[in-house]
Amino acid sequence: MADYDRRGGGGGRGGGGGGYNNKKRRYRDDNDDDHHYRGNNSRRRYDAPPHVRIRKQLIAIAENPMIERHDEISQIANLFTDNWEDDVLLRGNFVDLVLQLCVEQPLKTPFLAGVLMVANTNRPEVVDMLLEKAARLIEEKLREGEWRDVKLYLKLVGSLQGVIEGEGVFGVLGELFERAVGLQTASSEDTIGTEIVKIILLTLPYVMAAGSPEQQQQWQQKAADLLENTAIIASEPHPLQAVIEPYHPEPGEENPTQSQSLISLLQAQLQIEATQGWALSCLPRPWQFPVSEVEIASKLASAKKHVLPAINIPKTVVTGPRPLFPEVHISVYGQQEVESVPPPTSLASSLIRDALLDTINVLHFNRNATARQLIEVDCYFAPRTFALRGTPFDRLRDIEKPKSTWKPEDVAVDAVFTQLFLLPNPEHKLVYYHSVLTEACKLAPAAIAPSLGRAIRYLYRNAPRMDLELSYRFMDWFSHHLSNFGFTWKWTEWVDDVELSGLHPRKAFIVGAIDKEIRLSFAQRIKNTLPEPYQGLIGPEKEKDVPDFKFANDDTPFAAEGREITALLKRKAPDEEIDAVIQRIQSQAIDRDLDALVASTDVFVTCVLYVGSKSLSHVLAAIERTKDRLSDAGAASDAARTQIIEAVMAYWSVHPGVALSIVEKLLNYSILTPLTVINWALNDRAGKTRGEALALAHIYELVFNTVIKVTGRVRQLVIKSSQPDEMVDDETKDAEVKNMRELFRAIEDSLGAWAQGTKDEMLEQGGEDESQNGLVKRWGTRWLRVFKRRQAIEEAFLVEAVREKGRREEVRKEWEVVERQRAEEKAAKDEEEKKKKEEENGVENGEVKKQNGNGGDDADIVE
Amino acid sequence: MSIKMRGVRATVDRLDRPSAYFNNSRHKRRRFDKDQRDGDDDAGMHPEQREDDDPLKNATTLYVGNLSFFTTEEQVYELFSKCGEIKRLVMGLDRFNKTPCGFCFVEYYTHQDALDCMKYIGGTKLDERIIRTDLDPGFEEGRQYGRGKSGGQVRDEYREDYDEGRGGLGRAIARERDGRDFVDDGRLR
Repeated sequence: MADYDRRGGGGGRGGGGGGYNNKKRRYRDDNDDDHHYRGNNSRRRYDAPPHVRIRKQLIAIAENPMIERHDEISQIANLFTDNWEDDVLLRGNFVDLVLQLCVEQPLKTPFLAGVLMVANTNRPEVVDMLLEKAARLIEEKLREGEWRDVKLYLKLVGSLQGVIEGEGVFGVLGELFERAVGLQTASSEDTIGTEIVKIILLTLPYVMAAGSPEQQQQWQQKAADLLENTAIIASEPHPLQAVIEPYHPEPGEENPTQSQSLISLLQAQLQIEATQGWALSCLPRPWQFPVSEVEIASKLASAKKHVLPAINIPKTVVTGPRPLFPEVHISVYGQQEVESVPPPTSLASSLIRDALLDTINVLHFNRNATARQLIEVDCYFAPRTFALRGTPFDRLRDIEKPKSTWKPEDVAVDAVFTQLFLLPNPEHKLVYYHSVLTEACKLAPAAIAPSLGRAIRYLYRNAPRMDLELSYRFMDWFSHHLSNFGFTWKWTEWVDDVELSGLHPRKAFIVGAIDKEIRLSFAQRIKNTLPEPYQGLIGPEKEKDVPDFKFANDDTPFAAEGREITALLKRKAPDEEIDAVIQRIQSQAIDRDLDALVASTDVFVTCVLYVGSKSLSHVLAAIERTKDRLSDAGAASDAARTQIIEAVMAYWSVHPGVALSIVEKLLNYSILTPLTVINWALNDRAGKTRGEALALAHIYELVFNTVIKVTGRVRQLVIKSSQPDEMVDDETKDAEVKNMRELFRAIEDSLGAWAQGTKDEMLEQGGEDESQNGLVKRWGTRWLRVFKRRQAIEEAFLVEAVREKGRREEVRKEWEVVERQRAEEKAAKDEEEKKKKEEENGVENGEVKKQNGNGGDDADIVE
Repeated sequence: MSIKMRGVRATVDRLDRPSAYFNNSRHKRRRFDKDQRDGDDDAGMHPEQREDDDPLKNATTLYVGNLSFFTTEEQVYELFSKCGEIKRLVMGLDRFNKTPCGFCFVEYYTHQDALDCMKYIGGTKLDERIIRTDLDPGFEEGRQYGRGKSGGQVRDEYREDYDEGRGGLGRAIARERDGRDFVDDGRLR
């Protein structure tokens, strides 16, 4: 049975038989050392060897709703323990696979715990092996600040609390709590302590669900003590929470409850759960067997208990690879007549969401798998936690209490949206979350699409009070999503809003979304998807592939010169010839009392754009050829540099997507500076439109992208400089940091004025524009909040980078000590054992000697 | 004791691996010493991975296939920028007409962006077609042209289905049927 050649293969370490190789097997069939096939005429169908079956079944655990969970876990456990003796490698592989699964597919953890508990009745050693490895992994992840992994391993170990001796996981949670207290006392801005408390609170329910009623009884006091302790930290609002608040009511509007921090909700939910005797009704307990199966139930009850190996929790802890921020609870299904998702008062809302979020963020490398697990969320929780899959929202009200009205699709979609709308940033690129929703919608269109529709309506309604960064994300997702589904949407619902002023946030959303749709497609196509009232939003100029060339019209000043330069550029004439024309423009401009350089720059840039209007490649090639002239013009004066962006944005005003790509490249060439872009957008453009430009999505996109470019560069330098082998010149870094701060200052100055209504262009207006002014102020405020947040985050990053470096060093040193201690302890233990053995051997040897002494004949034989 | 899980097969397949096509054509390339793809889809079944001399280890370029002939650079930019700034975009062209023939190369600044693109954009729609992405060792002059007999991609020669976005029937088949050569009539906007 055990002669499959996987040992030499690559899969020996990970799961059972990863190196399984079809080709090789076929080859080996011909050899006579294969006993599995009894000749070529074997009538028996080939049965995969146990390690392959176990791997397959473990990975797919809980996916099939047609199998009883307790049957499934005992089947896998028995398959494993039945092959325990035959296959030594299988043991280690099994443990490794369980540990890998609990961090890669965290929804399955309770079921894995179930398998282990059943296996424990036959082969208790496996639990010892697992606990030992898990303990070492938790230590490793603690040192690295991989907090999610710490949480996920603790979830598995916590689910095994029922087979652990003494206080078990409570000891670890208690010590973790002490770290959190230390951190919180040291600084009120600490986020690591908050993260640790979150982990404690999210592990606790799994621990409480793991035991028999008697065990639970014993643990209740411990749980109560822990909760009493965490209360202070959990209820204290974090100073950064205001910065990440997703909704901001408009002035005078009634505030529909400020978002609650995740951790304070969790604390409250757990306290409720404690008063209800830890029912934890949503958590699956696959290890509970029906009454009919007395035998296994009694075996489980009397199974061996294990000692949880010591877990070293470092005195100093690090933030880890992902910055930590407080989190707030949001839901797109919050205010409905029927409860389609667990309410924030229920612990189920936190537990289900936490497991889903881990799944989403861990499985970023396969969005199809993510989408599938989301759709099948009901498989991974206790039966009857959810309403039937695919129940239409309208039908929920027919469900009679106490049956659940929670729609699995809503719960799943809601979880993805919390990431899409996570401030400051979700773990992965936003487009990942787009792709998860797309796949979910493809897998189960009838179930998911209506849920998405309701989410979109909720978000659209709330767009005006949403943080601007989030409402931009919403627009970006919305247009991208539609592009994957034939651009179909019930636009008729929003027809009334088409009449609104461009300054109204909902109208701005419509305009921005349509522009984004066109950018992914083309104007005529999108026009065909829109009802009549929207048609006016897409002018005939949108359908032209190439914008008009203003110098084709003789009425435009410098028309002749513009055409001349175009011709020269097209035939790649030498610079001198172009110089001559530019000289002519400049002298004419002086005669007309214009800024000579601005005038010539406008003509030249416009001509470059026109020559390159066929495609982005063309324009980039044209810029590449003329970059020296453009740089010189930009360097000569601020006004000329501003004119470069002005010309780009003007020429491509109808297709802002193209303009933005060009500006990005001009920034790369340093022909434009970030400050030019910001000044042009927030002062020039916004000024000329009396603030209306602030409502345009592409202006926001332009500024946001520019800021991200600058901050991204600073971050790169800082990260590089914190690595020992990288040489980053401090001067370069400091200069970039200084530039970044200047940029933020300029943004704040300008937006502050718009927000307060002190911008000159606003003061000039008459009284009748009061409402317009109010809307502009509102936009200014929303913009300001976005960029103040960015600034706060970048400043925090700079501070944290230095601190984290120090903390990492501390952790390293501390670990060295622990390792040394452990090595010494081990050496001492080995020594002791050696001695013991020697003693035993000594006795034996002595006996032998004695024997030898007694009977010389034997010795002769030996010699 | 280190219990690092590196190199261990994930419990769920990864979408940011090169396709069998690449591994297959690499195999061929070693034999014929020169074999440059224009992005044909006929994938082989024997992927082989070599960690040490893997030319895709730091790949920043993606081959993008199954585009409509009418999809523009700007559209590609719009979608692919969602994974990071694009360093260079090379549209695949018909060798004779110099018109788009349904594929392109997208180059990012970082390997991570290219991997993310495999994960999040490959297999989604652009211009209402499911596009495919594949990691690529890097663009070289000449690879922008189709290698099919009629100038486009090989896969468009004998394709039997009617694909409006890619010039209707397969070109060789269309030629047989109406005895005339395929004419690209530009984007129908």
